[in-house]
Amino acid sequence: MTSESTFSIDITDDSLSPPLVARYSQVLLKSEGEKLLLILPTEQEMKLNLIPWSEVWQELKHHLQGKEQSWQAGSSVSLIARDQLLDARQLHKIAETLSEVELGLEWVYTSRRQTAVAAAAAGYSVEQQSSHPQSLVGVAEETKSLVLEEPLYLQNTIRSGVEVRHRGTIIVLGDVNPGGAAIAAGDIFVWGRLRGIAHAGAQGNRQCRIMALQMEPKQLRIADMVARAPKFLPDHVEPEVAYVTSEGIRLAKAMDFAKTHSYSKEVEGWKDSF
Amino acid sequence: MSRIIVVTSGKGGVGKTTVTSNLGAALARSGCTVALVDADFGLRNLDLLLGLEERVVYTALDVLAGECRLAQALVKDKRLKGLVLLPAAQNRSKESVQPEQMKKIVDALAKGYDYIIVDCPAGIEMGFRNAIAAAKEALIVTTPEVAAVRDADRVIGLLEAEGIDNINLIVNRLKPGMVQDNKMMSVEDVLELLGVSLIGVVPDDERVIVATNKGEPLVLYEDSSLPAIAFTNIARRLQGEKVPFLDFMAAHDNLLTRIRRMFGG
Repeated sequence: MTSESTFSIDITDDSLSPPLVARYSQVLLKSEGEKLLLILPTEQEMKLNLIPWSEVWQELKHHLQGKEQSWQAGSSVSLIARDQLLDARQLHKIAETLSEVELGLEWVYTSRRQTAVAAAAAGYSVEQQSSHPQSLVGVAEETKSLVLEEPLYLQNTIRSGVEVRHRGTIIVLGDVNPGGAAIAAGDIFVWGRLRGIAHAGAQGNRQCRIMALQMEPKQLRIADMVARAPKFLPDHVEPEVAYVTSEGIRLAKAMDFAKTHSYSKEVEGWKDSF
Repeated sequence: MSRIIVVTSGKGGVGKTTVTSNLGAALARSGCTVALVDADFGLRNLDLLLGLEERVVYTALDVLAGECRLAQALVKDKRLKGLVLLPAAQNRSKESVQPEQMKKIVDALAKGYDYIIVDCPAGIEMGFRNAIAAAKEALIVTTPEVAAVRDADRVIGLLEAEGIDNINLIVNRLKPGMVQDNKMMSVEDVLELLGVSLIGVVPDDERVIVATNKGEPLVLYEDSSLPAIAFTNIARRLQGEKVPFLDFMAAHDNLLTRIRRMFGG
């Protein structure tokens, strides 16, 4: 296995370390034609990032609660379990969670024999595939690519302790509370108060922006830049947008941003065109 | 239909056990049958606050081990008919119980009592998992402090993920004078952040400490104090009554602040 990572306390610069940028939502839910695919992380991915099952679980629930609009009730779901070892109870729990949002688990794709047996015994259609997970419906390759996922639409508040990661744009219809974090490869829109941490363009895209109806973040991150919010709030609250300029992250009125600012490739930041 | 309510907070020392004992007493006094369950294995306190310590014979663990029947482990309160306590074991840790076992016990209690109130330990680990296993609704206790509110927020998120949606908030230990001087978070600030419905505000009062040390729930005292009224009101709201909130700020009003408020200041 991989060697234990070492920790050092010398702080050399303020830029973000790559692992923070690279880690992404562990559970994927995507539609492919008529079918919905629910893709679990591989055992190795979970081990490498020290992700407990409970976190995978919470993420799944987030995905289901948030994306409710994007499917038809009664759609069937294919579970891409990859090399995860799932017993009858876990499968039942997944099916139960899906049925809460009127989805039915139908197919289970797995590379583990035990999982296949458990799924078959529970009455699901099973396809056991070769132990090489890369061949699964071309999903693995896709997750590695830099193409953004469709936006993640969350209809709940991101509370303390919850971290939502998505390889695309995140839209939050609620608040991001202190202690909570939204991390997106694309833009972040908070239709409420942003009081936690938001990290847009987490794969290094400086063009990404963070928009909130009420901007009171603990910290803003865009690509490799970090900024703290001003200590004092303005008297008058209005929607604001955070963006990268040549001098760092700046805030502007969200209302006029699209008209007054343009992105410049030379300075790798946005410019006020007036 | 009996109601299974967990009293939880995330942070320790904000008044979960005080709230549990007082609510239990207030509900029992209004004629309900109430079973209080101490889920704080290893650090039990609820029996102390109720003054029932010396009458504890069996604990929830003995019931699980099959050493006694559930009814034998229940400690009946002498002062209030209908109030019983299921004590936690003091000599074990929280890992010695499983959520399914806890659920079994609480579900069994639900057959005989109107209200099952579970006093949850601090933290979000095994003890918390045990305490919320059977709960259908939750009372979140917080004090108007940043750390307590942050932890309450985390706990609300965890409860929601477990499908417990009926969540009400109790703001404990409010100091109206300090709120007036802008030195303490106001109830409004807390509510705005947590986004759950408020069921009661309890002012800070030394008499709460006195009552706690004596092992007598404050609501049972003859001369009613503000916190006692607040607890009684919470119990009434739990039962579906519409009770207006006490205005603690009124006592700290002077002419100037009143005029300021009139002009929306």
